[in-house]
Amino acid sequence: MRSALLLVVAAACAPYPQRVDQPVTIPNNANIPQVEGADVAAAQQAEYARLRYSADSVYALAIRGCQPGICDAIGRGEIVLGMSPDQVMAAAKTGPQAWVVRRFDGFGTMVPASQSATPYDRVGQVMVVQLDQGRAAVVSRRGPQGIMVASTPQDQTTQARARAQAEALVREGDDLVAANDMAGALNRYDRASVLDPDQPEIEYKAARLLDLQLRPQEALMRYQRFLLSMELERIRAQGEANARLAEAIALAQQRVIVLRGEVPR
Amino acid sequence: MLRPQTAPRFALAALAVTVLALSGCSIKRVERIDPNSVTDLSGRWNDADSRLVANAMIAQSLESSWARDYAAANGGTPPALIVGQVRNRTMEHIPVSTFIRDMERAFVQSGAVRLVASAEEREELRGERADQQTNASAETRARMARELGARYMLQGEVQTIEDQEGRERVVFYQVDLTLTDLETNVRTWVGQHKIKKYIQSRRITP
Repeated sequence: MRSALLLVVAAACAPYPQRVDQPVTIPNNANIPQVEGADVAAAQQAEYARLRYSADSVYALAIRGCQPGICDAIGRGEIVLGMSPDQVMAAAKTGPQAWVVRRFDGFGTMVPASQSATPYDRVGQVMVVQLDQGRAAVVSRRGPQGIMVASTPQDQTTQARARAQAEALVREGDDLVAANDMAGALNRYDRASVLDPDQPEIEYKAARLLDLQLRPQEALMRYQRFLLSMELERIRAQGEANARLAEAIALAQQRVIVLRGEVPR
Repeated sequence: MLRPQTAPRFALAALAVTVLALSGCSIKRVERIDPNSVTDLSGRWNDADSRLVANAMIAQSLESSWARDYAAANGGTPPALIVGQVRNRTMEHIPVSTFIRDMERAFVQSGAVRLVASAEEREELRGERADQQTNASAETRARMARELGARYMLQGEVQTIEDQEGRERVVFYQVDLTLTDLETNVRTWVGQHKIKKYIQSRRITP
């Protein structure tokens, strides 16, 4: 009895054949000190300080003797036409490290040095600044509806930007109609209509879409809004150039008559 | 019925057994030890694993170029970062916030990254700020709508693969953290740390 018990204990305590035979990388009771961020990033802090110093120097250069309009734009953080490369950098709150500047015979381009971190100004993400005689002549920015280009002073106004965005939204809406996404298309036309209320064609497109979706009450309102927004005399005077719009007006008027009969009062 | 001469002997033995049993039950030893030491007892996820992950991730994230690229494009301004969810996709209880807090501390300490409060923390802060608008004096109240928007979000997950036969067990932990540009959804940094443990259990413990 006793020997059997001993046999069981011996079997239990016998060395077990170990199948994994790899060196131990961190033994028990070893010491793993906590990594301190300041030690790891000491070089990074120095780099940041150098970048800040560089950006501040560019800013000082940029505002020296600048014209009032350009000085204001630098203060606002907005790149405008007529700025020098230093002023462009200052307006985007960057230094030379953020840009690749290429110059050739009075012309040149400024593009972001890194695609993963591009400079921004107050208006948006700057993609390219084209230089003519050392001054910004064309500014291209990335917007939600594609690249927006400003090449004239008028393009830099809020209205011009809104108009460009509205155009892009209408294009997107047209594509969605073609792809049979009517709700998406209507959403784009509505947004475009708010951004550019002086564009009656958007109202017409929205009205047609609602009409096709058999939503007569809303379609009627949109047709009426389209007709109201049109200056008929001016359209007539523009003649052939606006023949397409005149046709749209005629169709809209017809639909208003038809839909008035359908919509319960 | 005990004989008179055996009774004191029996009482003495009973007392000795009782004292031994009581003293055995109350044995407890507590000692302070170095928090940086590796103390593996059960083989499950522990503080040493958390520290290993934190150290590796801090080094990987701060040595990567994403923060420097951002600073270069923004005149030396460090990027703003928010910590999102780090999911524990294992069957084990792993408190992920221990190594995440270590990382946050390193980010703030290094000055390489500006850290903004998480969604949950922000709610509390906004409540306090709203309260200040009514109750704090005009010159001391924190102004509304001055929050710093984060540009990058840190997210991640912890996964395990376990293999066991008999008294041997191998546990493999993989911690993946990613940093994503909130505007473009581009992953700017991916950090990874792997830990493999071999656990052999004895049938009889000494």
